[in-house]
Amino acid sequence: MTTRANLSLPSAGRQAGPGLTSGSARERLALGPSSQLGCWWVLAPFLLTACDGPQSALSTGGADAAQLDRLFTVMLVGAVVLWLGINGLFLYATRRGGRPVSRGWAEALIIGGGIGLPVVVLTALLSYGLSIMPDQRAVGEGLRLRVTGEEFWWRVEYWPDGADAPIVAANEIRLPVGQRTEIELASTGVIHSLWLPALGGKTDMIPGRINRMSLHPTQEGLWRGQCAEFCGLSHALMALQAVAMEEGDFRDWLAREAAPAGGAGGAGAAIFAAQGCGACHAVRGTGARGAVGPDLTHLGARGSVAAGILPMTPEAIADWIRDPAAFKPGVRMPAYAHLPEDELTALADWLWSLK
Amino acid sequence: MRTVLLTIVALMALAVLSGAAVVFGGLYNVSARAGHWPITEWVLHTAYRQSVKLRAPPEHEVPELTDALAALGARHFDRACRQCHAAPGEERTATIERMMPRPPPIEVAVRDWDPRHLGWILREGVKMSGMPGWPSSRQDEMWSVVAFLVRVQGGMDAQTYAALTETPEARGPEGLGYCAGCHGLDGRSGNPHIPRLDLLDAAYLTESITAYDRGLRESGIMSHAASEFMPEQLDRLVAYFGSLPAAAEPQPADPTLAARGRDLAHAATADPEVPACAACHGPEANPASPMGPGPAIAGQYETYLGTQLRLWREGARGGGPQAQLMRAAARDLSDEDIAALAAYYASLLPSADRDG
Repeated sequence: MTTRANLSLPSAGRQAGPGLTSGSARERLALGPSSQLGCWWVLAPFLLTACDGPQSALSTGGADAAQLDRLFTVMLVGAVVLWLGINGLFLYATRRGGRPVSRGWAEALIIGGGIGLPVVVLTALLSYGLSIMPDQRAVGEGLRLRVTGEEFWWRVEYWPDGADAPIVAANEIRLPVGQRTEIELASTGVIHSLWLPALGGKTDMIPGRINRMSLHPTQEGLWRGQCAEFCGLSHALMALQAVAMEEGDFRDWLAREAAPAGGAGGAGAAIFAAQGCGACHAVRGTGARGAVGPDLTHLGARGSVAAGILPMTPEAIADWIRDPAAFKPGVRMPAYAHLPEDELTALADWLWSLK
Repeated sequence: MRTVLLTIVALMALAVLSGAAVVFGGLYNVSARAGHWPITEWVLHTAYRQSVKLRAPPEHEVPELTDALAALGARHFDRACRQCHAAPGEERTATIERMMPRPPPIEVAVRDWDPRHLGWILREGVKMSGMPGWPSSRQDEMWSVVAFLVRVQGGMDAQTYAALTETPEARGPEGLGYCAGCHGLDGRSGNPHIPRLDLLDAAYLTESITAYDRGLRESGIMSHAASEFMPEQLDRLVAYFGSLPAAAEPQPADPTLAARGRDLAHAATADPEVPACAACHGPEANPASPMGPGPAIAGQYETYLGTQLRLWREGARGGGPQAQLMRAAARDLSDEDIAALAAYYASLLPSADRDG
């Protein structure tokens, strides 16, 4: 025991020594810094893009994400301190020139650094981490949302306080700023996960049960979210937009969203009915009451087509209807390539006009 | 050792040479008059019987062989099989008698076989015998002919056969009697396996018969029927059936089943997972709203609707350019859903504005 303790540190040092100073390693070190650093400088802007933008956990727009951001910073600073400490110890061990430390020192290092320090550090981190967990799904105030994961889109229902029927939308979440909104998470077929990195953590959506999370946006803004659990062929194409709005604006918007589709019917509306689109899609205010696919009542007011993957333009809507599987492999919506081009255009124009 | 090897090589060369002489020298007599040696005939027949017994589907795959199914099967037999096997009590023609192998009269052909064996023979055909396979990938249609053949095994007489396959006296386009034999002169077959045509308009009928003719919609029975006529004849027949008035005649159906079907068809169930049938097939909540793209099915026979829905679900049903819409819509139907929807649509009064 004594011998092993005495030998272990110096021998580790001796092995590290020759390895670092061997021919090939020296060459690598000599060449390394300039070429490797150059490489990093090229990569740096790309890496830093992850620190900003609408889908970054480091550029926060909500209380929950800020809390997670703080947790991340604490962890990162702690990890850096530990990393420096460990490497300092390695450096110290290699510079001692192979002289063994005393038995008392070795035991203190093993017990203190191997048992004591991890227990203290991990206990502190766990307590801190667990302490903020309840905040991530704190009870909401008033408005409640239900988001259901479908293949491959999001069904969104707004339940204002005291409502007995939801206001149905899809593929976009709007939340009032300065207020905590509870979100129930459900799924129909397979497991999905809702993740809006700029607003909070991710939570799985599991068929047959309701998971809960809550979000508290602190500033107005447009954020992007993503399905964070592999759910099928088009998992990577299942995104959504989240809009944080001032409370008054939000109330006005919700009232508009609750209203039936406005605007004149016209050719597009007739084609929508004649093609049986209402079998799957609802457009409130028309006869279309289908609930298999996304509600399209205010499609044109959303930021994107097809769950965050196409811009909201009449052309994109027409392209999507013509052949959805070209954009989303495995999508459940059938293609309407048999429609004449002028009918497709009229249909897309009408859908786009549903603001 | 060397001698043995040389002998083997010499024998092999001789075998190859004599084989070549038979194939390339025309030594084998293919004359149908010459027939087979008794031993060849015994080997071929035994191999055929054993092959059928090995490959026939299990007993539980045989559906209930009802009279209605047999009525459909008798008609198809009359058009497609009678030429070689002759009707019960009928003599084969002199030419057919000279076929090699000779097609047995139907009473003899069905002897000693169980329905499952007959089903396999009808679906697969028999190689090198002149017996063709079913002219469609459908796995269910041949049971109708099996239902008929079971009755032949039971000793069906010529009068019964004649009554089953009678061609109605018809004044109309050429071939009307042929079609009306199954579908009825008024477009109503009275047989739950044979769809009502009085509900459908000429455009849909044209699309259907074209799809059958080109093999885009699977049915051995209808492909055979369509292939007996020229396109112009089919056009005239379609015009006839497409102009028939839809009889205001709903079909009997279990009301509980139909009620569940109504909820499904209008997506009024608690958690709709099936596209609302009514959006394409009616009935509309608002009669003024434009019609969907689907054919009229209100008042269609329940059995026929069930069969078609199962084909859609299995992806085995084709049709016009919009067939993929229905395939997507039927993909998630359960057996219970299909039963309920078939009952519901059968129980509805046909809508008057649908017929062409």
